[in-house]
Amino acid sequence: MAHLLKDKEAYERLNYLYQAAHCVLSQNPENVELARFYCFTQRTVARRLVLKQDPSVKRTLCKKCSSLLIPGVTATTRQRRKNSKIRFTVMRCLSCGQSKTLLNNPDYCLWVDRPEAQLEQQKQPDPGHPAKNQPKDKKPDGSKSSETSTAQRTVRT
Amino acid sequence: MRTISLSEALVRARIPQDLVKVLGVESQSSSKAEAFTQAFLKNSIQQHARHDLKSMLSHKAVVLGYSRPKKDKTRRNSKKAKGLNARQKRAMKIFQIKPEHQRYELFLPLHELWRQYIIDLCNGLKPTCSPQSVQQKLLKADFHGAIITVLRSKCPSYVGTTGILVQEFKHVFKIITKEDRLKVIPKRNSVFTVEINGFISHIYGSKFEQRAGERSAKRFKVRGTLDL
Repeated sequence: MAHLLKDKEAYERLNYLYQAAHCVLSQNPENVELARFYCFTQRTVARRLVLKQDPSVKRTLCKKCSSLLIPGVTATTRQRRKNSKIRFTVMRCLSCGQSKTLLNNPDYCLWVDRPEAQLEQQKQPDPGHPAKNQPKDKKPDGSKSSETSTAQRTVRT
Repeated sequence: MRTISLSEALVRARIPQDLVKVLGVESQSSSKAEAFTQAFLKNSIQQHARHDLKSMLSHKAVVLGYSRPKKDKTRRNSKKAKGLNARQKRAMKIFQIKPEHQRYELFLPLHELWRQYIIDLCNGLKPTCSPQSVQQKLLKADFHGAIITVLRSKCPSYVGTTGILVQEFKHVFKIITKEDRLKVIPKRNSVFTVEINGFISHIYGSKFEQRAGERSAKRFKVRGTLDL
């Protein structure tokens, strides 16, 4: 029990750091360094205490430079397709150029979402943000859509 | 020129009421929108060293696209780690001077967020809470966004400095003061005060010489006394 409580504090800290990064970016979109610093701290905490973060959180962090990826502000989001009909969402970090490719198939279910029962057995505390099960299909067009998406984010945080 | 101004007006227009409901999105205030547009343009315009941003925007047609940097194929086969090494980090990650001319007010929302976080962490922080348990929690808490004051220090010129803590490094706190100055204060040999809802906590910097992320995993030991 005590162990679980201790974990809860750490998760609150992760959540706070994630929100702080969003807060800094919404105040001044050019202040990427500070947001990156917070996300880097978040990743360090998670690594030291061996905590699992939700994929919806991890997908908004750059793996290379650990900056917060918000389409239009710090990342570009494009729809690509490989040889056949399989479509992917490609997010490219603007500061280091690292890209991550996410499959967008509405029928595909993430591993975390699938064995719900298994997760609930272990009584995993919920990391900062609740899981979004919706498939990722953001449409890449002009600045307006990206602006709305950032606004959405700031509202949510 | 006229078309540009027309489209500009279209971009700057607020989102109509019915769309607000559908999208669940609010229009940002004009200053925020301005800052966003500046950053977006800066990111998406192809960088030419000899043109500066203003003259390009006023004279030329602008291509909103991001030119992808060429992949270097030399590293493709090597089994190096994906991350950046220390030299690349040093080149990129320094807290640039540009945010320094950011105003103190911009960090007030961060402080507000931090206050919420601490109150949530300590379950409301009523006066009935035992100070021991609160301090136990503060040991593992995050201090980014807190307003700290230097209470005592070996160097007398640091004493009395107040500001919002922006970054925490291993040996140093970076705070932004009310006069919009970024100050660097060493942790060693100084005592800091943090105030939350009338609850005042002292931080002994000499014991806190850890990275912000690594402090959460570290176990604090009772060792020695501090004379300051």
